[in-house]
Amino acid sequence: MTAGTTQRDTGTPADAAGVSHIRRVLILWIVLSIIGVVATVIIFPLINPTSASAVSSFANTTNVVFTALAMPVVMFVLAFVFYSLFTFRERHAPETPVEELPDGPNIQASPRQQVAWLVITAALAFTTVAWGMFGFYKQTADNPPNPLVVNVVGQQWLWTYSYPGQGVTSDVLYLPAGRPVSFRVTSKDVLHGFVIDALGVAMDANPGWWSTAPIVTPTRLGSYYSHCVELCGLYHTYMWSKIKVVSKASFAEWVTASGGHNSGGTASS
Amino acid sequence: MSALPANDGSAPVRRRRVPVPSIVSGLGAGLLGAIVVGIIAHQLASPMRTGDTTLVAAYIAFAIFFLAGIGAFNFPVSWGLGRPDTTREEEEALAGKGDGVWRYFRFCTDHKVVGVQYLITVLVLFLVGGLASFMIRLEQAQSGAKVFTPGTYNTIVGLHGIIMIATTIIMLSAPFGNFIVPIMIGAKDMAFPRLNALSFWMLFPAVPILLSSIVLGGFPTGWTGYAPLADQAALGMDAYCITIVLVGLSIALGAINIAATVITMRAPGMTWTRLPIFVWSTLFSTALGLIVFPAFMVAVVLTLLDRVFGTGFYEASLGGNNWAYEQLFWFMGHPEVYVIVLPAVGAVCEIVPVFTRKPLFGYKMVVAAMAAIFVISMGVWMHHLYWSGANTALDTPIMLSTEIISIPTGLVFFALIGTIWRGRTRFTLPMMFAIAFIVNFLVGGVTGLYLADVPTDTIYHGDMFTLAHFHFTLVGTAVFGFLGAFYYWFPKVFGRQLDERLGKIQFWLLEIGFWGTFVPLFYAGLQGEPRWQAYIAGQYVSANRISSTFAILIDRPRTAAWTLVAIVCALTVAAIAFASPEPE
Repeated sequence: MTAGTTQRDTGTPADAAGVSHIRRVLILWIVLSIIGVVATVIIFPLINPTSASAVSSFANTTNVVFTALAMPVVMFVLAFVFYSLFTFRERHAPETPVEELPDGPNIQASPRQQVAWLVITAALAFTTVAWGMFGFYKQTADNPPNPLVVNVVGQQWLWTYSYPGQGVTSDVLYLPAGRPVSFRVTSKDVLHGFVIDALGVAMDANPGWWSTAPIVTPTRLGSYYSHCVELCGLYHTYMWSKIKVVSKASFAEWVTASGGHNSGGTASS
Repeated sequence: MSALPANDGSAPVRRRRVPVPSIVSGLGAGLLGAIVVGIIAHQLASPMRTGDTTLVAAYIAFAIFFLAGIGAFNFPVSWGLGRPDTTREEEEALAGKGDGVWRYFRFCTDHKVVGVQYLITVLVLFLVGGLASFMIRLEQAQSGAKVFTPGTYNTIVGLHGIIMIATTIIMLSAPFGNFIVPIMIGAKDMAFPRLNALSFWMLFPAVPILLSSIVLGGFPTGWTGYAPLADQAALGMDAYCITIVLVGLSIALGAINIAATVITMRAPGMTWTRLPIFVWSTLFSTALGLIVFPAFMVAVVLTLLDRVFGTGFYEASLGGNNWAYEQLFWFMGHPEVYVIVLPAVGAVCEIVPVFTRKPLFGYKMVVAAMAAIFVISMGVWMHHLYWSGANTALDTPIMLSTEIISIPTGLVFFALIGTIWRGRTRFTLPMMFAIAFIVNFLVGGVTGLYLADVPTDTIYHGDMFTLAHFHFTLVGTAVFGFLGAFYYWFPKVFGRQLDERLGKIQFWLLEIGFWGTFVPLFYAGLQGEPRWQAYIAGQYVSANRISSTFAILIDRPRTAAWTLVAIVCALTVAAIAFASPEPE
């Protein structure tokens, strides 16, 4: 029982000076939020993955938007919690008996505060839902005519791509840039997950069923990868394959060289 | 009243050196039963499926004969045979009176003994699962499958996953739900003491059964056990399935007991509106588990039927469908996250008011939030299956429900902020874990937004971003809440104080190690690294190497601290340094 423990002050030195803690923490929150949002908008595009279609660019944009949207929320919690922890922390000597420590103020949530909090968080939640629905709509409602159909067959532990319109089968996926592609996916044995991150394509390969992924249009030439994202047994980790997005002319050449025919209308939009 | 045998005032009446029935007779009977039944099943099995049939029969026999050997069925059998009711002395003996330390190895009805049994089991399982996670980071620290073969790696991942999931489900509601909840509500014991003992001892045989899969070729499915891969998998898969059934039964029995206790055994005056928040959270968590876990059990039983009898529930060629498994699994799989997190929320809502010396900000709000989470969580499972190819009509409603669940979760944050605001915080160990809980939950919650929304889930589905997200919620949130509760209630449970300084070292190593391990994996996931990779492709190596480096920080102190706490040997006393015999 030291001398310092006997004083039972209820406030802090800052209170005595008439400081408004709420105002301070709100300023801190606004400053941190602005820093957070600006940092998100500058940094996130730099670490976003390569995108080769409108779908995956939309996913990349969503990354930035959601992170920027989350920043004020995160900063609100952090600002209030850490400001309070630091400012109002118990300053008595650690060896002070617990019974002699003063209590904190009994603050209870007023109905107005609770409603305000609910309304704000609900508004944020519904914003993300609306955004997601918008993206989902863009992803699935788009139904361009004459897409290139690719049948994707997964088996332990490789992907096989066949082009029914061209009569070609390959273990490397060639895609003509600028032409919509419809992937029809199935599996010969167990569940596999067909994913091309760069194109924003994801569809499980279910044994016994054909599933059609939303149509995407590759927009950027280059080499990409497809992965299996459902654990499918021993060599799951090796179940990936190369994807080449090439010009329409190169695609037609490749089809011919592989013994296929280009009557499927490669030149159409 | 202490659970420690050393504090027994009365002279222990020891009948034998090794009391029977106990874990020894249980294991003996279990092994004997497994061998006998296994041999019989081997003779009767169809030649196509001898291995699976023998193994499943032997596992079930092991569990049943273990329970018989430990005396779990003594009362129902003697009652059924018309013997007179047990006397008070017999009941006290069953509660471990005079058994000394052996009570922890017997079918003991004392809720405090069961709580301690669960706590030690949880710590041991964390150790095993933690070692597996360390092996995972070891493999992923470099490009190429160099440390383990892919098959071994898959088994390690699966063991890590299922051990950790099963353990985190019970880590708070079983040890503290048994030990603390009856004390909090003023009950003398649980509503069904024998059921309580049964729920623990039903969990116990699951551990050797699960670990036996290692010598039977492991299982390739990961913790999700997806069919039809589970149908075609080697013998080790049976161990996984039986484990799920035993764990599921154990969880159900424990949940019934806790619910019955909280509903019927509250002391006069302990009205629903005065129920401690941890009791509420345990009630919600166990009730939720009781509703959703059977779906997983059913799914796994169907897998077993496929494997043993050649039914075709999940075989497309026989008219089955793998979606059936996925739906049943995720109907358990997502609510289960809340089964894990809710008691941690409750524990943190107990800890924060104590160490800020303020009442909880909005008790009713937290109860309402937990009730809302309880309900909504059962309607979000399909967000794991946006890209399964099934039921796309549900994508939009599920996106809605998944984002809506962030609203009650936000209320929990509001309550914690309000409680901390102007609180005279003392930075004790439980409080530090509670603060870390808030920070980690923030990251875990926000990253969930991306996975709930279809456009971003397209690129994150099944990759390391998902993995980092759920480790932030399950480890950063739930396990940090558990550790806060562990340090908070340790003095109450064991009558001793742990060394605060060592605990703080563990806290900082854990928090820094945890962030260092999983933040790089968010980046790896953003770049598209899929999960379950024994072979790390070149472009993901640096993120994974950073992650693995930090994983050492988590694993070393955790392994060290928890092994010592768990095994409770002489070295523990030296290392953990029990400072004072009196709780604070």
